[in-house]
Amino acid sequence: MGIKLYQRPKLEKPIMFVGWPGIGNIGIIAMNTLKGILKAEEFGEIESWDFFYPRKVSIRDGLLEDLDFPSNKFYYQRLEKKDLIFFIGEEQPTEGGGMYARGEKAYQMANLVLDAGLKFGCQRVYTSGACVSLIHHQMKPRVCAVISSEELIKELKKYQNTILISEIGGRGGGEGTITGLNGLLLAVAKKRGVESICLMGEIPDWLSGASFPYPRAARSVLEVFAEILGIGIDLSFLDKTEGQIEKIIESIYAKFPPEMKEEYDQRKFVAQTKPGTITIQAQIYIDERFKKGGDEGGERPV
Amino acid sequence: MEKDPFEIYQMPQLQSPSLIVGWQTQDIGKLGPKVIDFLNEKLGAKEIAEIKPLGFFPFGGVRFKDDLVQVPESKFWACEKDNLLIFRSDEPVFEHYQFLNSVLDFAEHHCHVKELYTLSGVVSFIAHTSLRRILTVFNQPELKKSLQGYGLENMTWEGPPAISSYLLWLAKRRGIPGVSLWPEIPFYLATREDPHATKLTLSFLNRRLNLGLDLGEFDLEIRDLNEKIAERRKEDAEINKYINMLESGLKLDEEEQLKLAEKVYELLGIRG
Repeated sequence: MGIKLYQRPKLEKPIMFVGWPGIGNIGIIAMNTLKGILKAEEFGEIESWDFFYPRKVSIRDGLLEDLDFPSNKFYYQRLEKKDLIFFIGEEQPTEGGGMYARGEKAYQMANLVLDAGLKFGCQRVYTSGACVSLIHHQMKPRVCAVISSEELIKELKKYQNTILISEIGGRGGGEGTITGLNGLLLAVAKKRGVESICLMGEIPDWLSGASFPYPRAARSVLEVFAEILGIGIDLSFLDKTEGQIEKIIESIYAKFPPEMKEEYDQRKFVAQTKPGTITIQAQIYIDERFKKGGDEGGERPV
Repeated sequence: MEKDPFEIYQMPQLQSPSLIVGWQTQDIGKLGPKVIDFLNEKLGAKEIAEIKPLGFFPFGGVRFKDDLVQVPESKFWACEKDNLLIFRSDEPVFEHYQFLNSVLDFAEHHCHVKELYTLSGVVSFIAHTSLRRILTVFNQPELKKSLQGYGLENMTWEGPPAISSYLLWLAKRRGIPGVSLWPEIPFYLATREDPHATKLTLSFLNRRLNLGLDLGEFDLEIRDLNEKIAERRKEDAEINKYINMLESGLKLDEEEQLKLAEKVYELLGIRG
């Protein structure tokens, strides 16, 4: 079980951006997009076989060509002011099935990611994910932050459209759980003395069980990443996917009965503090083909 | 998981043996266990080692199948006379990579195996009266070439890998040549036994490894199975129609497949 580095780039106190799939794939879209925009170069991986069963075999004319495992890759880029390491995991290792990481394997994976970062002197890790929230889908998703220490609050406050998780109403003083590796890595980093910040894009509660991505929230997260890095990024290429997903969501919304729509639309004007029946009712209108398995992830209202 | 996954009972004198691997969990047509049990019995194989189950199988209770308690087993046998190493196991539930490497570690480091054969049935939409083929997957072109002339068919497939393919891939990484044998099993015999496919597989191994086995007893089993189904075809027009369609190369829809499979299941009984 281990890390395989193809090269050892010279990096100075790099910051790490780490992403795995999760609710709405918000975190992984954000990380992958940033990695792509910055043209980060692959330099290593965590060997997959200890964590995953292969997902595909290719056999051609009687010859076994290859097995395909979910990838877990490291990339780097040197910016003018900051050196960066990215880690993108295509799947979360789980014990006993489910979509989101749990168990010993998840803990090992989180530690390996951090091991790689620490080899290069990394002092800060960003993860990203979904913040399941009582917002309306037509509102711009905010970015909710969970941080490893109070010293980071001041810095977080500087960023546009970013709030601490405790600032969202109805959460029992900001308590909750960030499930999966996007959460677990924060704990492992904190334990090993590395600053960690999870930036979660808001997703309407009733869409958290949908199988389609939620690029709108990924865009919000990316805007904050750009600010953190002091760079300008053009996100217009997200417009098309975002438009397609919006169409699906609007078609579901159109099926809501008038009284339900009226109640739900209140979210645009008054901050909601309790999920209410709408959370469950609205999910009924999501077509079967757009529903994900029963496993949960992300950050949820208490 | 325990550090040393093996429990070795005795070390046989093998000279670069061939390794035959069969899986007994969800094996189509019970092919692997049938072939391996036959080989072990007829060749007088000795049980020599096992992979300890802890860490690879769940122990939160016990599985049962066909009324019988199932204990996960992963055992090695050796036939010194025929220079064979045989492994029969349940498919692990956890730590597949470690488990399969343990199989190869034992075979490679303790027994110096020269080649690998894996056995698994593959569901086919053919009639039980049709000729079966053995579809094959090789991990080295050289072995594929050397097995030309055995009437094997090359498989082409892309999708989720079976455990045999995973083992074959790991063997390839170690430079151990290997082939997965996938004899066709008519879908309505998938949960039962298919003596025809068992005999076909044994015939190949018999010839390839010069085992000198008498496979005559399978002719009786094949005849018995064919007669049972033929009798039912006379009594049940629906079964007859579906099998006729398969014999004519026609496809059955999902409902028809299910009906035929259910009727044959009833006919052959739980231990058929």
